[in-house]
Amino acid sequence: MSRREDRPAPGAMNCSQVSDLLPFFVCDELSAPELEAVAAHLASCATCAAQLEEERALFAIVSDAPQPADRLDPSGILLSQCRSELAEGLDQIAAPPAKTRVRPLAWLRRYMVLRPAWSAVFLVLLGIAVGSRISFLQTGEVDSGGSRVVRAAPPLTDEQLAKMAVAGIHYAPASGDEPGTVQLQLSAEQPYVLTGPLDDTGVRRVLTYVVENGQQFDAGTRLDCLDALRAATKEADVHRALLAAARKDGNPAVRLKALDALRESTEQPDVVEVYLDALEHDSNPGIRVEAVNVLVGSLERQGEASVMVLAPPPPRKPGTAQTPPSAPLAHITLVRVQRALENLTRNDPNRYVRLRSAAALRQIGPLENH
Amino acid sequence: MPLPPWSFALAPETGRVGNSQAALPTVTSLSEFDERSLVAEAQAGNRAAFEALVRRFDRDVLRLALNLMRRPEDARDVYQEAFLKVYRNLHRFRFECSFYTWLYRIVTNVCLDHLRRRQARPEDQAPELSAAQADDGVASFFERQREDRATLDPERRLIGKEIQQRLALAMQRLSPRERIVFEMKHYQGLKLRAIGDALGTTEETVKNSLFRATRKLRLQLGELR
Repeated sequence: MSRREDRPAPGAMNCSQVSDLLPFFVCDELSAPELEAVAAHLASCATCAAQLEEERALFAIVSDAPQPADRLDPSGILLSQCRSELAEGLDQIAAPPAKTRVRPLAWLRRYMVLRPAWSAVFLVLLGIAVGSRISFLQTGEVDSGGSRVVRAAPPLTDEQLAKMAVAGIHYAPASGDEPGTVQLQLSAEQPYVLTGPLDDTGVRRVLTYVVENGQQFDAGTRLDCLDALRAATKEADVHRALLAAARKDGNPAVRLKALDALRESTEQPDVVEVYLDALEHDSNPGIRVEAVNVLVGSLERQGEASVMVLAPPPPRKPGTAQTPPSAPLAHITLVRVQRALENLTRNDPNRYVRLRSAAALRQIGPLENH
Repeated sequence: MPLPPWSFALAPETGRVGNSQAALPTVTSLSEFDERSLVAEAQAGNRAAFEALVRRFDRDVLRLALNLMRRPEDARDVYQEAFLKVYRNLHRFRFECSFYTWLYRIVTNVCLDHLRRRQARPEDQAPELSAAQADDGVASFFERQREDRATLDPERRLIGKEIQQRLALAMQRLSPRERIVFEMKHYQGLKLRAIGDALGTTEETVKNSLFRATRKLRLQLGELR
């Protein structure tokens, strides 16, 4: 309202200025100087005095007119309804989850209260079951740290494995006739230490589970498990876990270690496949170079001896890894490695990988004659 | 200083704890506590204190909502929304102004939101007076009011109804902010400074809004002359 902002100082007001102030004069919102100036003007101006009367009439109409609230809620029922609804609204807000007490097995308690006879039978049976379970557990030892040492304990269930955390792995390598021993500090529902030789299926199951499910465990734990497992690469479950880690593990150090554990098994087609896969697709140049080295070394050994492709494969023992490839398969492998190396020589983004691949092609060139 | 939670339920009549003269503690009404203590208690999570605060102000709040919204269901929505907002945001109140001012700031904002939403949806607007009604003029509206106030003849009730209708029509033509300012000034009896505080604006802005509102009302009602 610009006309009000440039209002001159009170004292000598004209009709227009007084007219603007009349609504505030009527409702007693003028400052003392304004009030004085308006009063002085009104005393000498009949027009403005008449306008003041109209303003007063309007003010009186507004003041005297019944308000909508009087008509819309004459008895206060609406106010009561509002209060009641607000209380409900507050109840909803004031009932956070924290207030609700967690009552485990509340349904069982309700059931038992209503059926006392059945409940008594149930409790007796439960007591027998728990008693027998405790006597079974008492055959174990308890170490100084409070952790339970389990020897030949029933294998962990899949659910326990899924929830398991590995606090530490200690591998004592084989010495003489003694097989290597693994000590696993685990936490699966309760903390305990699992100790056993590497040929124990329970121990191996934990180790292979860690290696195959890398996302659940840290890289250090996976590397420790691989350290232990590389002594048992001939076992089918270990072989499968190493292949999985070499292909899928997110950490290049773990993939490299898994490939390294398999380097003595390059006579097996699935190992060759994993190396070829690493050669062609692994994002880490160090792993690609390692794959080049291992595959070329393997092919050279095969070429020198010419035994692998000609000799009949040894009989496969149950539970062990796959048999060596036949002669046509070895040839296919050579061709695939050559193609992969040619591709790397041309296209690999890493210069060292390109150079190493070119050198490898020269190394295996003579093998084509066999 | 915040009162202990139990003091609302079990305070001796003297208000002192450990008075051996008091045979039994008596229940002290929450309405006896000052506004600041009630707010502090409500902020500490005392639901009874919050409800006492609500009861202290909610009659005026509902009245304001009814006068502005002119529909009970809308006024009920405003009441509920405003007090739930107050409850949720009570921890933000820092005693920098009176609780009343802070409450009215929330209430008027909720009212403004509702009025603006209603303006955006013409189908939601209350039916206006028909043109016939508007043209059913009387010689001099203001003159008649002066006469009518002076007399108690049976015609007055009819004229009072007419005033109500004319005023409702005139109020409907005000902007939401003008309507709130006019309502708070003339029906809630607040000073312009307090209205400015409640609306989060200056006294000068409120003055301008009131001036515009008064002028519009005069024009609307003056047509009848």
